[in-house]
Amino acid sequence: MGTYLLRRILLMVPTLIGITFLVFMLVALAPGGIGAGLSQSAGAMQSQTAVAQTKARLEDRYGLDDAPPVQYARWLGRISPIKFGARDLAGPGGVLIRSPKPIKDPPMWQWFTDSPLGSLATPLVAAERYESMVGANLSEDDRQERFREAERRYADARAAYIGEVATFKETLGEYARGVGMPNAVDKNGQAKPRLLSKHTPDKSSAAFVKLAAQWPRVQAAYQAAQVTRTDMLAAFKSDPYPKAGLPVIPGVMSLTKPDFGVTFTGSQPVIELIAKRLPVTLLINLVAFPIIYLIAIPGGMIAATKRGSILDVGLGALFIAMWSFPVVLAGVLAIGFLASKEYLGAFPVSGLHDNAADSMHFLPQRTDGVLERGWVLDTVWHICLPVLCLVYGGFAILSKQCRAAMLDNFSADYVRTAKAKGVATRDVVFRHVFRNSLLPLITMFVTIFPAMLAGSVVIEKIFTVPGMGSLMLEAIANRDRELLLANTLMIAAVNLLALLLADIMYALADPRVTYD
Amino acid sequence: MPPTTPQSLRTQSAEAVTGVQLMQGIGIMEAKGFWADAWSQVLKRKMAVAALIWLGFLAALALLAPFLASGHPITLTERLADGSTRVSHPILEYIKSTDMILVIGVPIAIIYILLAPKSGRGSGRAARIGACIVGALLTLAIVVICNVIQGAGSGRDAPAWAKSLGHRLGEVKYFGPVVSGALYVTLGVFLVGCFLPFLPHLRTRILVTLIACLLAGSATSFKWVRPLERFDYTQREASGEATATYTLVPWSPNQRFSELDRQPPLTSFKDAMKFPTDSPVKPRTFVLGTDGLGQDVLSQMMHAARLSISIGIVSTGIAVLIGVTLGALMGYFGGFVDLLLFRVVEIFMAVPLLFLLIVAAAVLPPEMRSTYVMMAIIGCFTWTGAARFTRAEFMKLRSQDFVQSARAVGLPLRAILFKHMLPNGVTPVLVDASFSIAAAITIEATLSFLGLGPADQASWGKLLSSAQTSEGLFKWWLAVFPGLAIFLSVLSYNIVGEALRDAIDPKLKKARV
Repeated sequence: MGTYLLRRILLMVPTLIGITFLVFMLVALAPGGIGAGLSQSAGAMQSQTAVAQTKARLEDRYGLDDAPPVQYARWLGRISPIKFGARDLAGPGGVLIRSPKPIKDPPMWQWFTDSPLGSLATPLVAAERYESMVGANLSEDDRQERFREAERRYADARAAYIGEVATFKETLGEYARGVGMPNAVDKNGQAKPRLLSKHTPDKSSAAFVKLAAQWPRVQAAYQAAQVTRTDMLAAFKSDPYPKAGLPVIPGVMSLTKPDFGVTFTGSQPVIELIAKRLPVTLLINLVAFPIIYLIAIPGGMIAATKRGSILDVGLGALFIAMWSFPVVLAGVLAIGFLASKEYLGAFPVSGLHDNAADSMHFLPQRTDGVLERGWVLDTVWHICLPVLCLVYGGFAILSKQCRAAMLDNFSADYVRTAKAKGVATRDVVFRHVFRNSLLPLITMFVTIFPAMLAGSVVIEKIFTVPGMGSLMLEAIANRDRELLLANTLMIAAVNLLALLLADIMYALADPRVTYD
Repeated sequence: MPPTTPQSLRTQSAEAVTGVQLMQGIGIMEAKGFWADAWSQVLKRKMAVAALIWLGFLAALALLAPFLASGHPITLTERLADGSTRVSHPILEYIKSTDMILVIGVPIAIIYILLAPKSGRGSGRAARIGACIVGALLTLAIVVICNVIQGAGSGRDAPAWAKSLGHRLGEVKYFGPVVSGALYVTLGVFLVGCFLPFLPHLRTRILVTLIACLLAGSATSFKWVRPLERFDYTQREASGEATATYTLVPWSPNQRFSELDRQPPLTSFKDAMKFPTDSPVKPRTFVLGTDGLGQDVLSQMMHAARLSISIGIVSTGIAVLIGVTLGALMGYFGGFVDLLLFRVVEIFMAVPLLFLLIVAAAVLPPEMRSTYVMMAIIGCFTWTGAARFTRAEFMKLRSQDFVQSARAVGLPLRAILFKHMLPNGVTPVLVDASFSIAAAITIEATLSFLGLGPADQASWGKLLSSAQTSEGLFKWWLAVFPGLAIFLSVLSYNIVGEALRDAIDPKLKKARV
């Protein structure tokens, strides 16, 4: 059993990587790609150049200027608990500080100079600066102070450089159109340097003169960015903050907790959002499950023992009708007829809590002769309809399965033997048939759980419950890479663990089943 | 192939057969084929028959929707300035080419299938169904290609040269017919030669290709340029310029009256628009009310039946095709191939399907979410069930004698897999297909409800989503009628599937006895 469990859990890893990669590529390859919402939100009331600069800075910040597989690999590296190479620093408030990303060379620098850095001899300067930062025996406070200063200057210089490059690319686009290479220009008027790399510049054209006039500024910005980055690197290496994670082989491998990053919009830590939303979805599902099993099993049993009677036929029709009833329809009808003020109005229309839930007592209480609902009852009242919508479908499947399993066992030889021995019908049903029919019901968990998880997306949308499903919809609407990937990972992990749990329960319930 | 009994040994009536006669071979009932037997079992159930009737009704509605529900009058009698009248048929002018093909093609196909002779190789009912499917695919391919050509010059994002070329060509007389004609001849020759070899006879091949090309050709060339839709008949009626006769449901699904949003069922058009009672405008009613954009609900529901039915069937077809192929490879080869491909299946099963479908549909911009794309998306993400069933069956079949001997004889892999093994292992997949269609209809409704369904297309799910207004009001007719349609269709497919499974699954049969 132990090895089986280990193997199953290890096999989960490639599955999780596969599903996150699939979802990521789906979004990345779609028109607009990752972060399509970002550039749109940056676009209001600004000139085209300013928009391009903002967009370029955002892309640089979130690494969107890399190819999708590279972005995915980087994300994988960040969430992997095993890290190789230099360790990150754990900044104040648990924020991870990484060593600064390399800076890309300015486009088409070969046209203007032999080296993009020009007269600046980086290695020498870097070494000197490094000496001055690390070599000095500074106190921790001083090192932190220096690090913050270096970080701020680096961020400014990098943003300035990215902005310069965006403007430069625009001029480059003008040039490309001028020399008759319109396909080297994208929709926003920015040049695609990759397509221009084989092109010999036409130094006499007007656009080239404009480019050449812009080049010194680009180069200066590049130099400044490189210099501040070297500073930042030096400050980083002086260990202003404690190192994150647990070293396994010092300098080579370490263990850290996964870093899910921050959302594109609002810059909230993804893990916090999920920690807020996942319990809601799990709550609804975990309330629903016992209800399903408790109602469905007696229903199936009654149908099986009264086989052929009107009750059986009626229940069978009811089961298949419930099974065919779409969740969206149930949700809309429930909210319309039961919750809407025009009709019954007995239930809340949306949300998980009342506005005043925070000030309520935990349990119902009678104060001054007025019954106050209390936090628990308020929650129950709010999740009534969502749970109802979630329950009925699984209930139908399970009842049908229970009936079929019982009927299967009723025709088994051992039941005939028991009857022939004179065992009371009650005992035959409960002791023999029922216990043997329970096993397939456990495996039904495998079918029901994913369906319910999916159903909760729709239900959360209809009843505006802040759960994982609505978070997923938000993530897709914003094309938020971090949120989308973390969400997919969480849902897949919950799903796979539930399926594993079903297998374990199966082995526990049936001594004949072994996994070795 | 059922065993055939010599004609002389059959008796006319089966009741009066004694045991002795039976031993002599008189009065033997001809054994039914596997599927024919299963089908007759299904037809014994009242519920299943009712479900089939509903589905047939829905299919008829879907087929005839553009003729039954249209805002364009059947006949429009205009009074011209010189006192004479002119009669026109706007409903025919605005019919799409696909609608024409469906209305002409489907009855031809049904008659062709029903008239199949009982015996003789390659001319039975199954072969004719196959021929019809091939013909339908062929027609679809031609229509899609024509639409792409036609759309390339007139689309919003079309480059300038294409637009001017399209405009210039549009003015050339008979351009549409010539282009589509040339296309059909080329495609036809190509397809008779290489695409259709699995139809048994050359005669069938040529017939199918000819009919498909003729249908698609005449329809698309006739409708090469569609006129812009305008519904100005009411104004013309009110001013007394013209009189119009409408169809049964006198509204088009995309005909909007923004001032008549969310009108309850049985709203009279004349009263709602405040026309005087004696105005010459024909009285019309919104039988099931209107939706949030002021479009007639009944008309939308009729047109949406087409979407639901076709999405259900086509996406399940795609899923079965992918699933059976991959499942067959997994089950037959086992080992490394199985390990690798089953990981793919597991990846698809790791998150609930609806999540994946929501992601896949939501990343597409609305203008790209056409019906065909939605079919492809749903098909490409739901194949894992079929793959698992086929894999399990093929694993069982792999070691059986007939497969071993087929391999020993040296048959090519294709023949072993799809000619010998597949007919023996496809039953669970086909039984499951009925449930898959039901699931696909639910998925389509759910996606449309979430606003991720086919754009510019009436859909039951979309109607359902407009039941709840942003002011928190609930318009019951927008929930109840489309909801009932979804429910009944899903229920029907499930009932048929259930009946089919009971007829085929020997284990459950035993439990029933």
